[in-house]
Amino acid sequence: MKILMICTEKLPVPPVLGGAIQTYISGTLPILSKFHDITVIGISHPSLPDKEINNGIQYVRVPGIVLEIYREAVVRFVQNNSFDLIHIFNRPRLVMPIRGAAPNAKITLSMHNDMFNIEKIDPTEATAALKEVSNIVTVSDYIGNVIRTLYPDSVPNIRTIYSGVDTERFLPGNHPEMREIRNSIRKQHGLENKTVLLFAGRLSVNKGVDRLIRALPQLSTKFKDLALVVVGSKWFSQDEVTDYVAYIKALAKKQSIPVVATGFVSPGEIQNWFGAADLFVCTSLWQEPLARVHYEAMAAGLPIVTTARGGNPEVIIQNENGLIVENPENPSCFAEKIATILSDKSLMKIMGIRGRELAVAKYEWNRVANEILEVWQQSIEAPLTNIQQNDPEFINNPQNDLEPKNAQQNDLGYTNIFQNQTLDQKVELESEFFRQEKNNKKDKKNDKKNKKNDKKDKEYNKKDKKNDNKDKKKYKKDQKDK
Amino acid sequence: MDNIVIVPWEVDELTHEFFIPDYINMLAAEVLKHYSFQVKSMQVVTTKPDKGGSIWKLETNAGPKSLKLLHRRPTRSMFSLGAQKYLVEVKGARVPGIVQTKNGQEYIEAGGKLWFVAEWIEPLAPVTKDLEGAKQLCYALGEFHQLSKGYIPPSQAEVASRLAKWPKSYEKVITKMDWFRNIAKAYKEMPASQSILNVVDSFQEQARKSLADLKQSSYLSLVEKGNSSWGLVHQDYGWSNGQMGPNGMWIIDLDGVAYDLPIRDLRKLISGTMSDLFNWDVTWIREMIRAYHEASPLTPELYELLMIDFSLPNEFYKNIKEVVYEPELFLNETTTQLIQTIVDTDQSKWPALNEIQHDWRK
Repeated sequence: MKILMICTEKLPVPPVLGGAIQTYISGTLPILSKFHDITVIGISHPSLPDKEINNGIQYVRVPGIVLEIYREAVVRFVQNNSFDLIHIFNRPRLVMPIRGAAPNAKITLSMHNDMFNIEKIDPTEATAALKEVSNIVTVSDYIGNVIRTLYPDSVPNIRTIYSGVDTERFLPGNHPEMREIRNSIRKQHGLENKTVLLFAGRLSVNKGVDRLIRALPQLSTKFKDLALVVVGSKWFSQDEVTDYVAYIKALAKKQSIPVVATGFVSPGEIQNWFGAADLFVCTSLWQEPLARVHYEAMAAGLPIVTTARGGNPEVIIQNENGLIVENPENPSCFAEKIATILSDKSLMKIMGIRGRELAVAKYEWNRVANEILEVWQQSIEAPLTNIQQNDPEFINNPQNDLEPKNAQQNDLGYTNIFQNQTLDQKVELESEFFRQEKNNKKDKKNDKKNKKNDKKDKEYNKKDKKNDNKDKKKYKKDQKDK
Repeated sequence: MDNIVIVPWEVDELTHEFFIPDYINMLAAEVLKHYSFQVKSMQVVTTKPDKGGSIWKLETNAGPKSLKLLHRRPTRSMFSLGAQKYLVEVKGARVPGIVQTKNGQEYIEAGGKLWFVAEWIEPLAPVTKDLEGAKQLCYALGEFHQLSKGYIPPSQAEVASRLAKWPKSYEKVITKMDWFRNIAKAYKEMPASQSILNVVDSFQEQARKSLADLKQSSYLSLVEKGNSSWGLVHQDYGWSNGQMGPNGMWIIDLDGVAYDLPIRDLRKLISGTMSDLFNWDVTWIREMIRAYHEASPLTPELYELLMIDFSLPNEFYKNIKEVVYEPELFLNETTTQLIQTIVDTDQSKWPALNEIQHDWRK
């Protein structure tokens, strides 16, 4: 079959900048391409050609970042090429434009997070898109359940296909191929003879690593040899200092337990940090789809402490491969679970071994790819649109559907106010947030200096600059005198 | 030249005040080749080294102009430039006009950023720093808000909107109060830590109450009116970006405009002015609101939101949020004094707000 896989507009494939969706696609492609004629369209990146054929897979790369810009290029490509099946990753907002460009292709949709939420896609468009896809693949039961709850009447087949991990790359620290790397990393960072706790993920409020840092004082009273390694940056591959990053650094500085912050580690090297660690902690505070780091920690033979948020607990068998923190807002709850594992060395060891077993048995890319192949087969055999779900009234008057959905409430107890917000606005708002949050990254001294200038005189400064420097000094002085 | 990407630059004791890296100066020269006027001289008037932005004043055969290197993402800058064009060409607002390139474009993309040339308005003079000046600023702000209604950004631009974001930004204030507390505890030996710990609970409580009030208010129904029917907030409006010039007040530096409830600008202008006065002065607040209202009528619903936005601990938050950067320097005696000043000024805030609470009764 001729199959097109459409990546998101945010990060390139292969995952040179990381990213869960990009890893998922790249991990399964070697197997999928054995069975089908595959084209992958994604965003361009300076390190990657705009067009290439690699291992029999055709890659097409177009400008992205902003969905509207990306969508235009993708639609144009689909208009000019024909495919039996189009697999769209995590962008329900691409479904209708793609359907317009490819009236006869079957569409499969993969969902990796909350892109069906009402603030991400207008309910009218979501309902229409759900009718055009033959089936939906999700990365956790949690994600599927959210979609079912939002659109109980319109969902097609939803199947969870958990992501995977390369168990030959992610290896336990005592594996012959990892032992030397483990020792050298530990030596390099002063972690010899330490029990190393590992966090790997974005440094953001949602991911909650501050709670782990705040749990350290409690742990330090019981365990004398601890260290914490924090792997990650503000955002994929950006070592920028946000207010949050500054906050956790300020907290880390005052700990008696050493905290090693690595900054961004490229996806190709991250397995080494897992190999160097002794226990993995996921601190997510938000309803996370299901973080990939769980598979990686299991493959690396690490016991896991994770949070009862979103899909994360779905891959933890309590007391077998890890423990679950029920109330992650509270740092002591992390301290408690971590202490439970650290104080029982045999439990700690068994959990690691069990994790590795699970990774090899259940979370290899082979299994992921085989399940995708099954879904594609079903998609091809399915009717062109999700006809059994079609609602004649909607077809005649699509606006009808909007009314009742308007009254839906989200989890804040708000009436659905965000529904008209586009993804771009979202992007913009996020970046706006970062803009305000972010400070001069490299030279904090400069920052200080600028800020001092900025503060009281900010308003006057600009005006002064536009006039002349002499005036400026005088004016500033006036302000001070005032 | 094609592959150059403009990034923030460092300034230190060795660089002069308006230092700009050579490669950016070279790009500026390239950009100017796209315009038909002859540049006689150019002079840097302001820089944003930490963001990678800059403004030059140009003397040209066609009169004075400004050249701006916009630090934001190009698609974001397109939103603001579209707004500036709309305000000048469609609404005849007193906002500097954009000078087109030889090819009739509004901007040039170079170094991964947008550059544009606008008219340099002369003469411009700041209003007097008294109540009369404040009222002029407020009236001009109201005019600006009215004129910005109906703006639709060009299709390739991102839509910059803070309209639906109020709850999020209130939540951020509440969350950061936790950070202030945790840092003050971790750095308890520093002089200002105890001052923060003394007041942070009550400020956080205030912020929670503000958020609860926001949820109870008509905010959601106002948001439903949509971006373009509310128009744009300036986001950086104050005593320098509103100035007296030919035919009246001019509004400049529109680079950060976004859709929002317009009173966000008014709130910032008033609360900033009150903190400059070290006192919440009922007469000033009333007169400023009234001046704004004359140009852009306030409804009881908007007035209610204005009151709620005043109730947030804006000044404490704004001044203390820096603590996460180098707390060992920030938490000094000066900050102790600053907190005391904020707390003192806050004493007059509540009686003032109570007094004017019902001015716009439904």
